[in-house]
Amino acid sequence: MSDALVINNLNKKFGGLHAVNDVSFSVRENETLALIGPNGAGKTTAFNLIMGFHRPDSGSIKAMGHEISGLRPHEVCKLGMARTFQVAKPFGGMTVLENVMTGAFLREPKTHASREVARESINFLGLGPKEKFAARDLTTIDQRRLEMARALATQPKILLLDEVMAGLNPAEVDQAVELVKKLSSRGLTIVIVEHLMRAIMAVAKHMVVLDHGQKIAEGSPDEVIQNPEVVRAYLGSGYVKPQGESKHD
Amino acid sequence: MIKSNLIYKYVLSLLLVLMVFLPLVVKSSFVLEILVRILLFAFIGTAWNLLGGYAKQLSLGHSAFFGLGAYTSTLLQIDLGISPWIGMVVGGGVGLLASLPIGWLCFRLKGPYFTISTIATANVLMLIFLKFRDLAWGAEGTTIPNLGNAPLMMQFDNKVPYYYILLGLLIIALTITAWIERSRMGYYLIALGEDEDAAEASGVDVVKVKRNIYMISAFLTALAGTFYTQYIYFIDPQTAFNFNVSIEAALVSIVGGIGTLWGPVIGTVLLETTTILLQSYLGNSIGGIQLTVYSLILMAVILVRPTGIVGYFKEKSQARSST
Repeated sequence: MSDALVINNLNKKFGGLHAVNDVSFSVRENETLALIGPNGAGKTTAFNLIMGFHRPDSGSIKAMGHEISGLRPHEVCKLGMARTFQVAKPFGGMTVLENVMTGAFLREPKTHASREVARESINFLGLGPKEKFAARDLTTIDQRRLEMARALATQPKILLLDEVMAGLNPAEVDQAVELVKKLSSRGLTIVIVEHLMRAIMAVAKHMVVLDHGQKIAEGSPDEVIQNPEVVRAYLGSGYVKPQGESKHD
Repeated sequence: MIKSNLIYKYVLSLLLVLMVFLPLVVKSSFVLEILVRILLFAFIGTAWNLLGGYAKQLSLGHSAFFGLGAYTSTLLQIDLGISPWIGMVVGGGVGLLASLPIGWLCFRLKGPYFTISTIATANVLMLIFLKFRDLAWGAEGTTIPNLGNAPLMMQFDNKVPYYYILLGLLIIALTITAWIERSRMGYYLIALGEDEDAAEASGVDVVKVKRNIYMISAFLTALAGTFYTQYIYFIDPQTAFNFNVSIEAALVSIVGGIGTLWGPVIGTVLLETTTILLQSYLGNSIGGIQLTVYSLILMAVILVRPTGIVGYFKEKSQARSST
């Protein structure tokens, strides 16, 4: 398997704050990689750099073999990368179907064809019965589903998920974990930012830990949670490996 | 769904037939004058709505294009003897081209700042035509030479042909809107109006889509400028770049329902009839009272139905399908 996403020596400063400091990592095709770290570690900034919302100060980002740093988000999207937002950004006045069609139009300019693709995504994420709902009337988890469906409808190869499980109750987290696994089983390469260790352990085979903009650890989940620096910076000394995630494996 | 579509088509055909035959029944030139006003602002509102309604880019500077259209055709007519029919299309083209640098500047700003910058550009254009007297008659403007009944020069001895010109323009604008609404561009407009970042992340080239819709909106608005000058036989910077045109374009859409096909039309009918009724009932009492009452009605409508008349019914039907 080759690398779907390769990030080399990425840097971004906001004024005096070095938000992303010389970060390098790569994601293999069809792998699910988790990006973790305390608040303000630079995870979302990294997403914004990858997707083109910010321009990196230096460094390179290669997706599917293309250099994408400096491209605008819609160009990155066209090359096969899609994202969800930490705070869901549905098009509130549109229905669920119209939201997802907006994404589907990228590859299917005709309304009918776009509707077909959108329906497929909506059903895949289990929103079928709600396709006529106004997006603003959806519950939190359904808004997350909607964002994933809209991203999926752009027919990406790489999907960036930014805290899709924040604010969900335990039962909904289980549903979200299943959704991420389902997306992965479609052959998608996934980069997920998440705080919930239980969920991360269930979906990710590989982890990158950021702290103060720097990469402090990388490896399999089991390696990472035993890394003393990760424990100090993020997990806390009282951290014990979560029980019960085995049912997802 | 299919049934309501069929009803919609019947109502639409009926309305069209009614509008086409109306001047045969209505002989009063006062009523025709009102109908022309309604059609004119419904048309400008529809043009504005493409940018201001669907894409939620609240421009209050559409008089820029209205004025450019008016001046282009008038200059061509008076200096070169070119028919305003051709001048109208050229004027539309000038409006369309002008939207490129104006958009390039103004779209850098968002929300209220965008709005202010559009007002400023329209004002700058007015000042240019006001101060540069060699360009086009300066502040005193000029009258259009009256040729009597000259259809080829867009001049008529009664109001009926003007009515039909506007009806044609409005039908064109509504057809364009209906087509955009159903196509990819319509979805992209609403999406970027709701959230530009989310639209970009979904593959929408926000800059390009905004530029394209601004061009269409400017083109149509410029056509109205030519028409209006031909209709009143007069042009000067104050009437051509009148801020009220910008306000009215936005107002009829907001009251009727922004981002809806029929919003600007319904809004214009309501606002214009209200104006006329107030004028005829209150116009002779205390000076300015009709404007006060008009403003109060306006505020009430915005307070009670912030999404406009059509928007309100749309929300109701959406809510019904969600339960």
